Amino acid sequence: MKSMKTMRVLDTVVTHVILIAVCFIFLFPCLWLILASFSKSGSIYSFEGFFPSAYSLDTFRNLFTDTEMYNYPKWFRNTLFIAVMSCLIGSFLVILTAYTMSRFQFKGRKTIMKTTLVLGMFPSFMGMIAVYIIMTQFGLINKMWGLILIYSANAPMGYLTQKGFFDTIPSSIDEAARIDGATNFQVFLKINLPLSLPIIVYTALTSFTFPWSDFILPKLLLKEKDLYTVAVGLMNLGETEFSRFAAGSVFIAVPIVILYFCLMKFFVNGMTAGAVKG
Amino acid sequence: MKDGVKKNTSEKWGKNVKLSMCLMGLGQFFYGQIGRGLCYLAILLLAVVYFVYRGFSDLIGLFTLGTKEADTWLGLEGDNSVVMLLMGILSVIALLFFVFCYLSNIKDAYETQKLCERGGHPAKFKEDLKQFLDKKFYKTVLFLPIVGVCVFNILPIIFMILIAFTNYGGNIVPPKLVDWVGIDNFVQIATLSQFAPTFGRILIWNLIWAAVSTAVNYFAGLGLALLLNKECVKGKAFWRAFPMLAYAVPGFITLLGFKFMFSYGGPINQIITDMGYRAVGFLDIDAKWIARGIGFAVNAWISVPSIMLLATGILSNRDASQMESAKIDGANAFQQFRHITLPFVLFSTTPVLISQFIGNFNNFGIFFFLRGGLYIDGYFLASDTDLLINWLYNLSISNNYYNVGATISLVIFMITSFISLLIYTRSSSYREEDTFR
Repeated sequence: MKSMKTMRVLDTVVTHVILIAVCFIFLFPCLWLILASFSKSGSIYSFEGFFPSAYSLDTFRNLFTDTEMYNYPKWFRNTLFIAVMSCLIGSFLVILTAYTMSRFQFKGRKTIMKTTLVLGMFPSFMGMIAVYIIMTQFGLINKMWGLILIYSANAPMGYLTQKGFFDTIPSSIDEAARIDGATNFQVFLKINLPLSLPIIVYTALTSFTFPWSDFILPKLLLKEKDLYTVAVGLMNLGETEFSRFAAGSVFIAVPIVILYFCLMKFFVNGMTAGAVKG
Repeated sequence: MKDGVKKNTSEKWGKNVKLSMCLMGLGQFFYGQIGRGLCYLAILLLAVVYFVYRGFSDLIGLFTLGTKEADTWLGLEGDNSVVMLLMGILSVIALLFFVFCYLSNIKDAYETQKLCERGGHPAKFKEDLKQFLDKKFYKTVLFLPIVGVCVFNILPIIFMILIAFTNYGGNIVPPKLVDWVGIDNFVQIATLSQFAPTFGRILIWNLIWAAVSTAVNYFAGLGLALLLNKECVKGKAFWRAFPMLAYAVPGFITLLGFKFMFSYGGPINQIITDMGYRAVGFLDIDAKWIARGIGFAVNAWISVPSIMLLATGILSNRDASQMESAKIDGANAFQQFRHITLPFVLFSTTPVLISQFIGNFNNFGIFFFLRGGLYIDGYFLASDTDLLINWLYNLSISNNYYNVGATISLVIFMITSFISLLIYTRSSSYREEDTFR
């Protein structure tokens, strides 16, 4: 009996040691970046090991005032605009698509589902050159709306998670409403939409963060320095501008992290409900 | 009685159906469906205008890919083969769409004919519109997404597939004329000394990378979830917050941050030099396996938290009584994991496993940020950490080898679809669909 107890204590201790190690691994790089963003000198060479030799708030001040070489406020506004618009249009399209694919039985439904599966297997930027040419033809190169158009148009491709969620809402409610004379549009608006808050939050969050942190498309389509997004701008910073990079990263990562933590409950629900059902 | 019904709903095409065959919408007019008829007529007009103005020449252009080469001396504006290819594909899609509309127009007239013979009345335009919010709601909803996906997803993919069969790239870019070359590109990749060795090496490394990193991330994530699920762990939300933090930070920041961390002036090298050793070029040109190892570690840092979240959700659905009875029967912790937990989790997450594998196979960001733009001897425009997708980027976007790039993307597609099909059909979630239901 006693050995059982020592085993249990040992187990608890080992578990917690591993947990602390894991937490350290995940926390340390983040902490490192945050501290670096408060560094007094910009270059990574002036650091003592992992940490800056002197701290100050100047990096953040410079980030927003010293805009001649690196116009961070402008990058930030561009990114915010692109991400918000893509999020609004994209989530709307995804939710509607997923809902339709989950609720309606129609000719061609299976075909559409199989086609999207096959399309998803193509390397994501295989068609980049074609997209580039299409955008030139439409005259949408160096236009933020062009980027928004691409993000939103491609969003419905990822409808499967959301469809999985809608599959779990019992259709008997729908039928009851239909008998009471509601049209399909009303059923969607008044019954299913309020029930699917978790998945809407999940969709909005993912379709916001993707454009927020994408670098391939903006790099390809927005050539002017004025139109850089944060991702493209930060990519061009070298070792001597390290603390500027750190400050810029912290500034856009913090809102996202807070958002994730506030919406974590919805988020986990949405993800597991959709992913498990496939 | 039966004969009578059959005579009434004759299988023959009526006059109005034939009218619809001659002119889209005409039959509908004669049934008094003015609105519907006008819609069909408008489609016909649009199609005619499009094909007269450019559709027809676009269609021919798809086959010739341009005949006039530009000549700056004579000031001659030549054909742009690439635009012609793209517009040619668009015209084929337009043609297919038009044929579809034409057939639906005939079918519609025929349906109305049958309806009238059964004694119904042709639907009014207002009723038609109402249908789009009700019975045909799905058509209304799916119209925009489908158009968007067609233009920005399917059209580019078809374009790239076709590019793989042309000689577009290298020196042959507009204003030079591009030509169809059949399967020459595939033969080149497999045999030509310029591409073949690089392709072989990268492919092998790519497969190792995808398999190992998927396995590492998957089991680390699952292990973490099981660890957090233990009874002795108090304050689960607190512990879970740290991986969540890693999950929430945008990927490119993580990757750039790690690049700084392992760079020459970075903190790790500073500590090494302070201790009196020479700085290590972790991501340098000759750092083959070190750089690959860092790649695995960084990828795990990014992907493990998402697997952990997923596994946590799945574990909470686990049937606790099974574990209980196993414990009573004397199964130890490992046996419980091996025979109860693992099969259950594997079953539930097969789709995730496949998507993780494909995601890792095509993981562009990791080595693009950590070691991008490096060209190494023995590789053609690539380095020893580059995956196929990075090579594809180097070839087509940085160096204009569009045809080779397109061919490689087709190869990637074939590999990933083959493997995921294999995993899927072999997996238990496919073979025994309702084991855990």
